[in-house]
Amino acid sequence: MAPLQKRAWWGLGLGLAFAIAFVLVFILMGGIESFDSDQGFRIIVDVLWVGALAMNLVIFNLSLRRVTVDERDKMIMGRAPRIQWLAVVFTLAAWVIALNEVYQSTGLVPAVYLYVVFMSVLIVSTLAYSLGILIGYWRASRNG
Amino acid sequence: MARINNQIRRLRFDHGEMTQEELAHRAGCTRQTIIALEQGKYLPSIELAFKIARAFGVALEEVFQYEA
Repeated sequence: MAPLQKRAWWGLGLGLAFAIAFVLVFILMGGIESFDSDQGFRIIVDVLWVGALAMNLVIFNLSLRRVTVDERDKMIMGRAPRIQWLAVVFTLAAWVIALNEVYQSTGLVPAVYLYVVFMSVLIVSTLAYSLGILIGYWRASRNG
Repeated sequence: MARINNQIRRLRFDHGEMTQEELAHRAGCTRQTIIALEQGKYLPSIELAFKIARAFGVALEEVFQYEA
């Protein structure tokens, strides 16, 4: 397995762990209503999204400096943002549809959702990047 | 479609059964790229093609052949 591929598996695994932790924290700590009032809740969530971002930086930047990343790896890495872009667009579309359906009658969406949408997009984006790299290797091994 | 064949596998064995890892190290790429090249699943850049030829100490045309 190429060093980059190994790191993409790590990125996917850790990204999934962050995503699950993100959802669990929201469920266990009272949902979006208590997010506004509970500072401890906000700090935990902040730690999660900053952690996901830092993990991505370590896996795909710092740790790659010590291993061989050749032109084929770079080509696969260069194609991964296509998957990332699609995942971000679908996540944003899901949020827009859901928020519109829930709050259409009131005409007001709580501002706290801006923060939640941003964090979820960030985590999905890091996950999709790893997934995009793995799909790239899978396609390269099948079709060349 | 134009095809580019290569003799990497044969040349490795002709050069004292050079391992894929060793060739990858000499050419500055990963072993997975050498595997993909040998299986005809990846076309290298001109630069990598030259590096591979240099690793064997042969001309580029001895490693890669173009078939229209």
